[in-house]
Amino acid sequence: MGVINFIIENILTQASVTIALIAMLGLILQKKSAGQVISGSLKTMLGFMVLAAGSSIIVGSLTYFGKIFAEGFQMQGIVPSIEAINGQAMNELGLGRDIALTFLAIFIFNIIIARFTRWKYIFLTGQAILWMATMTTVFGYFAGLRGIALILVGGFIGGVFAVAMPAIAQPFVRKITGSDEIALGHFCTVGYVFEAGVAKVFGDKGEKKKSVEDLKLPAQLEFLQDTYLSVMVVMVPLYIITAAFAGAEFSSTLAGDTHYLMFAFLQAIQFVVGVYVLLAGVRLLLGEIVPAFRGIAMRLVPNAKPALDCPVLFPYSPNAVIVGFITTTIGCVIAMFVLPVFGLAMILPGMLTAFFAGGTAGIFGNQVGGRRGAVIGGVAHGFFITLLPALLVTIFNSMGFVNATATDVDTVAAALLYAWLIGPLLKAF
Amino acid sequence: MFGFGRKKDKKTKKDAQQEETAVLTPEDKEQIQLSISLKEQEFEQAAEEKHAKILEEIGMAYVELGDDDRAIDFLEKSIQIEKSVGDGYKNLLRLYNKKRAEAAKANDDKTLQIYLNKMDQLMQVSKDVTRGVR
Repeated sequence: MGVINFIIENILTQASVTIALIAMLGLILQKKSAGQVISGSLKTMLGFMVLAAGSSIIVGSLTYFGKIFAEGFQMQGIVPSIEAINGQAMNELGLGRDIALTFLAIFIFNIIIARFTRWKYIFLTGQAILWMATMTTVFGYFAGLRGIALILVGGFIGGVFAVAMPAIAQPFVRKITGSDEIALGHFCTVGYVFEAGVAKVFGDKGEKKKSVEDLKLPAQLEFLQDTYLSVMVVMVPLYIITAAFAGAEFSSTLAGDTHYLMFAFLQAIQFVVGVYVLLAGVRLLLGEIVPAFRGIAMRLVPNAKPALDCPVLFPYSPNAVIVGFITTTIGCVIAMFVLPVFGLAMILPGMLTAFFAGGTAGIFGNQVGGRRGAVIGGVAHGFFITLLPALLVTIFNSMGFVNATATDVDTVAAALLYAWLIGPLLKAF
Repeated sequence: MFGFGRKKDKKTKKDAQQEETAVLTPEDKEQIQLSISLKEQEFEQAAEEKHAKILEEIGMAYVELGDDDRAIDFLEKSIQIEKSVGDGYKNLLRLYNKKRAEAAKANDDKTLQIYLNKMDQLMQVSKDVTRGVR
């Protein structure tokens, strides 16, 4: 009995062990050899540890940034980073085990819904499911759910989103690709549909509708070639300007012997290092789990429609991606200055979200409302995807998150569902 | 709730079926085979920078013939030489998905994983081309 208690209390409570066991389950179900099962499980555990290390680096950098921003601008400046939220939730807040189990539950609910309803979508973007599991767990916890209820409710809501979002996007995807064989699996779909709605109202109509694809635009976004470099391009000036506004006297108290502007520069780089390490951990973490479970899903739902990551649409409308990226960035910058006027936190623009979500939204806007739709819809989309995460800041702060908010708007929508509906209902009964 | 577009769904499926069942006459097939032979000769003599384009064209001819395996082979070679997201890319993704669905129906996990991984690689190609990575 003592041994069992020891295992339950000291080993199974460790998030890294739970995650490794989930990977082990997947590998055993795939009938892998003993060696592959052991190495795959250990790699998954390693991935969790690397993710934790990345999270610590990000938290260190964001703590510094939070202080200089508050001093320099007398308000809170929030960095939108789902990676930072995931890292902090899994480690600093100790929700790693629950997130891992919710992640598994989302897969299972996705399979059940696809198997037994006419919506045959299997969500194949593993990283996005991890972000969804993070948000449903964090906000489920905030709403008062614990233990198995937290995991099952999170798994169900995440599973419904994993089917509903591709289903909502599919009428647009069909028109964009001219085919019904492949779906879009990216948790920014609420934003895409929002842009399509704006494009419908304000965009070109009938014969006046002209596609952005008829325009001659630069074919490539070369400045975005490297993910980490593009994050650095935003973070370095942001940190240095903020440190300058905070002033030499205050900033130097945090910088020790280093010059305060140099320290700000190094802290910006530290943030990028943190994202780099964290995402390397995520890749290791998901490297074994995702192939195992998506293989199982595809066999259990043989007529499934695979929901793929957003680049699946880029080849169909490359100009709209560029227009979407630029207009979404403009919308994000407008929202950054407007939202504090209404008492919300200042959400700083995130280059990667603007590129991937903005680019895809641009395709939706162009499809529905032509050039005008893509431009007006894109700016509105940028504002929208900044507004939604801003609504979560108070809750994140109260839970002890450091200076960050979520990005992918479907995960934000799920979070708001907990905050505005499930939480109050639980409190009422 | 998500019933909208259902009618169109049926229409699209019908269109796709019509496309699939578009029967080529023996003359059509001969013509396509001939164009493949000519392209192969052109490939031998062409400068290296034209290789990807010619391989894509040969792959597309095999798509037209309905020879999925050869089409995949040539389209993959083309993308390996030069990443692009034209018709070759779109057809390659479609063929991978077809192979994936066949493997899922046959309960063949090994082949299923191969094609899921190939689809992942195509997502990366799309990202790289859009961002200008060569």
